[in-house]
Amino acid sequence: MTDPVLDAIRRRRVTRAMTDEPVERAYVETILDAARWAPTAGNRHLQRYVATTHPGTLRVLRMVSPGMIPRPPAAIVICVDRGLSERYGFRPEAPGPWIDVGTATATILLAAQAVGLGAAPVSSFSHAAVAEALALPEGWDPVLIVCLGHPAPEQPRPISPNRRLTWRDLTQWVPGDV
Amino acid sequence: MTAPWVLDEDDALELLAYLVTAARTQVDEAAEYGPMRLLTAAHRLAEAMGPRSSAATAEALAGPLADMPLLAVPRERTEYVEQLDATCRSLAAHLSARYGAET
Repeated sequence: MTDPVLDAIRRRRVTRAMTDEPVERAYVETILDAARWAPTAGNRHLQRYVATTHPGTLRVLRMVSPGMIPRPPAAIVICVDRGLSERYGFRPEAPGPWIDVGTATATILLAAQAVGLGAAPVSSFSHAAVAEALALPEGWDPVLIVCLGHPAPEQPRPISPNRRLTWRDLTQWVPGDV
Repeated sequence: MTAPWVLDEDDALELLAYLVTAARTQVDEAAEYGPMRLLTAAHRLAEAMGPRSSAATAEALAGPLADMPLLAVPRERTEYVEQLDATCRSLAAHLSARYGAET
């Protein structure tokens, strides 16, 4: 079966090296519009996005984000509005809002590919430092950063899995395999 | 004679920020990321100091450390340890050549 969405999903890779070429703001806005359509539990939309193409801000973001390998010319920081979550009755440790960050991230990665950009999700960063650097509103917790940029010709080797996995390795049929 | 600086304030701040924030993120991260974060710091330090280092140090930095993959984690433990040991040996050889004759 050939389907453009399935094809895009299979072709998508994390971009760990990006060129210095600027990213047009219109592309970032297209990606943010796509993120708005990502599914959220209860259609609550507890996520908030902070976007930047500002070189100084991006430099600081990278300095406080050990997991940020590329030097991105643009980034989107996905935050959870904790105050809003609390008003919906979520306990602080409840996973629901984080799961919605996951669906937003998957959508952003594919949207970036659709506009011809590379993307790299980063979860390893100091939340306290990022909140300070971006002057986030009270209660906005930065959960994930998506780096955006034009892929460099040479990419670092990805972390190698212990072995190549197929969907069958990750799946169990109930009742019983056939 | 004062040795020339191989890092400027911006280089040093970048590395300092990386180390401090990596200490924080490592509290929550998989243990296998620990060596990778340290090696990333070493890569970044080597990249920053390489251009202003002595020829011998620049050559040492371009050796096994540069060959160590940026995203290496110790999943293939034997191979990983061998590669890291080679990096340590190469560094030690450079340090011995540079400082070993001091009395």
